[in-house]
Amino acid sequence: MADTMKLRVDRRDGMAVIHTDGYINNQGGEEIARVAYELIDEGYKFLLLNLAKTKIVNSIGISILIEIIEKMIEIEGKLSFCDLTPTIDKTFHIMGLAQYTNIYPDEAAAGQS
Amino acid sequence: MNWADLLGEVSSSASAGSLETLLALWCEAAGVDSAALYADGETLDGETSQRRFAGVGSVELPEVLAAPHDDAFGRIDLARATLLFYPARRADDVGPIDVLLSQGSEIRRLRDSLRRQHFQDNYRLVELEAIYELGLAIASTLDLEQLTEEILLRAVSLCDARSGAIYLLEGEELKQRGTIGGYAAPSLRPDDPMVQGLLEANEGVEQRVLIGAEFPLAVPVEIEGKLMGLLAVADKENRQGVGPFLEADRRTLGLFANQAAIALENARLHLEALEKERLEREMELAAEIQQRLLPKGTPSFPGFEIAGWNCPAWQVGGDYYGYMALGRGRLGLVVADVTGKGMPAALLVSTLHSALRLLLEGSELGDSLFEQLNQHIVESSSPNKFITLILVELDPETGGLRCLNAGHNPGLLVRDEGSVVELEAGGMPLGLVPGTNYDSWSLEMGFGDLLCLYSDGITECAAPDDEEFGLERLRNLLLEDRDKPLSEILEHIETATLEFADGCPQADDQTVVLLRRCRDGSAD
Repeated sequence: MADTMKLRVDRRDGMAVIHTDGYINNQGGEEIARVAYELIDEGYKFLLLNLAKTKIVNSIGISILIEIIEKMIEIEGKLSFCDLTPTIDKTFHIMGLAQYTNIYPDEAAAGQS
Repeated sequence: MNWADLLGEVSSSASAGSLETLLALWCEAAGVDSAALYADGETLDGETSQRRFAGVGSVELPEVLAAPHDDAFGRIDLARATLLFYPARRADDVGPIDVLLSQGSEIRRLRDSLRRQHFQDNYRLVELEAIYELGLAIASTLDLEQLTEEILLRAVSLCDARSGAIYLLEGEELKQRGTIGGYAAPSLRPDDPMVQGLLEANEGVEQRVLIGAEFPLAVPVEIEGKLMGLLAVADKENRQGVGPFLEADRRTLGLFANQAAIALENARLHLEALEKERLEREMELAAEIQQRLLPKGTPSFPGFEIAGWNCPAWQVGGDYYGYMALGRGRLGLVVADVTGKGMPAALLVSTLHSALRLLLEGSELGDSLFEQLNQHIVESSSPNKFITLILVELDPETGGLRCLNAGHNPGLLVRDEGSVVELEAGGMPLGLVPGTNYDSWSLEMGFGDLLCLYSDGITECAAPDDEEFGLERLRNLLLEDRDKPLSEILEHIETATLEFADGCPQADDQTVVLLRRCRDGSAD
């Protein structure tokens, strides 16, 4: 896992995948938000966050993700997640993110739905 | 516009859409271009400020309401919110919109407050869940590396820290075993005043744990007052940057560290148990292998009786004995003692066994054979390892004995008529000095004579007062028992040394080989 957040974007038909590598904290969250809003401006309404290389999220990062989710709801889009560690998965469920997003085991499952 | 309907809508949802609709209507009524509403209270990330939560118009009004505000903007203080607008102008009597905006803002404020509270409550749940799961890990995660990483990840996440590090006590030092978000010192000394100051939260401590961090927090990881490690985090995050940790963070981290200590101790004990199990398995295997090297029975030599016995002091010993068929129908008997105990000694015994088979079996005993054996042991063993050995070649037709001794105890030849001859001792142990020469000597074994080769575990067997069993006791025992069956003599030597030791643990391996030339020329 990288010390500072590194992102990689895969643009596909109708969906963009943001691969995170690093800590989703204030800096990491802001970086994700920046890329997400750019993709929204490009017209993407479905974003998938692949957290395979992220082992840690803090409350600041979560609050930023919530803001992105709210923005996606506003544009009638959807933010989904995949490849979460069990800890992050449980955190998202406790924090209520799972109610407004889809959480998939991996990208393949996300692509099929 | 039906104000009652609009008020109802605002009352029920107070969504940004409805508020912005109201704002737009107000702007139109007031003749201003842009307007924004500012919440009066805490925002989601805990910061206290007036932040914009709804806005309309072409002019970008500030995100945070500054005091005093720019004169270019107009301002109306509502009951629980502030309205900022542009351009600044007097806004007189614009009807119930003020009331609607106030109501909408209040509902929004309450909703945000509830949302924040909900967020914080949920995050407290995340903290409790983390501490609970760490408790579960005590029973399940026994991989020390995995556990250490998990502890660090959770600690940093729970405290909203920007960086963190975990240290485990190894010997006298705290060794860094994981870091997140930055560079941490590779090791620390527990008695370093800087570390002590950090743990005691002394102000002004120039910490050197998390390099470059401004606001450190560290707690000891200890169990029953015994220090096991240190958990350090730094720079509590908020939306604007970083700041110091709160006392609640220290308490949470301390609680977490307590659980971590138990989990780490469990993992450490598990590792120790695994290592012990591995060593025991290794020893069992070595013992098994070594047992296979020792004779399973005794060779049959008409006119002679042979018997041997070995008792290792530990599971795996360093004594060796064996019988070899030499050239021209002769029999070789060997007793050896390898320096050290346990596995290293057992490995050297194995080397010796192979070398003896290779060099002696089927050969005639010559002095050069011992030189070759010595060279082989020199090359095969470490410099501080050596072997004492006595080898006797028996010519069964004549009873002639040819002996070679490499630093071993002298053998004893008990004559039938009751005298005892000590075979020569001396010679350099094998494996010490390359190129050592060895000399043999010969004597005859008469009918009824009893030869005893033994290791120093017999003669040096110690009593509680440190007196040794000694050569004299062995000699007397052999004299007394010289007509008894060899198995009885061996048993007597075993019980005699046990009784002499009187409960003292066996300090060295014990080995005895007996050879008797039958009186009537045949075995009993």
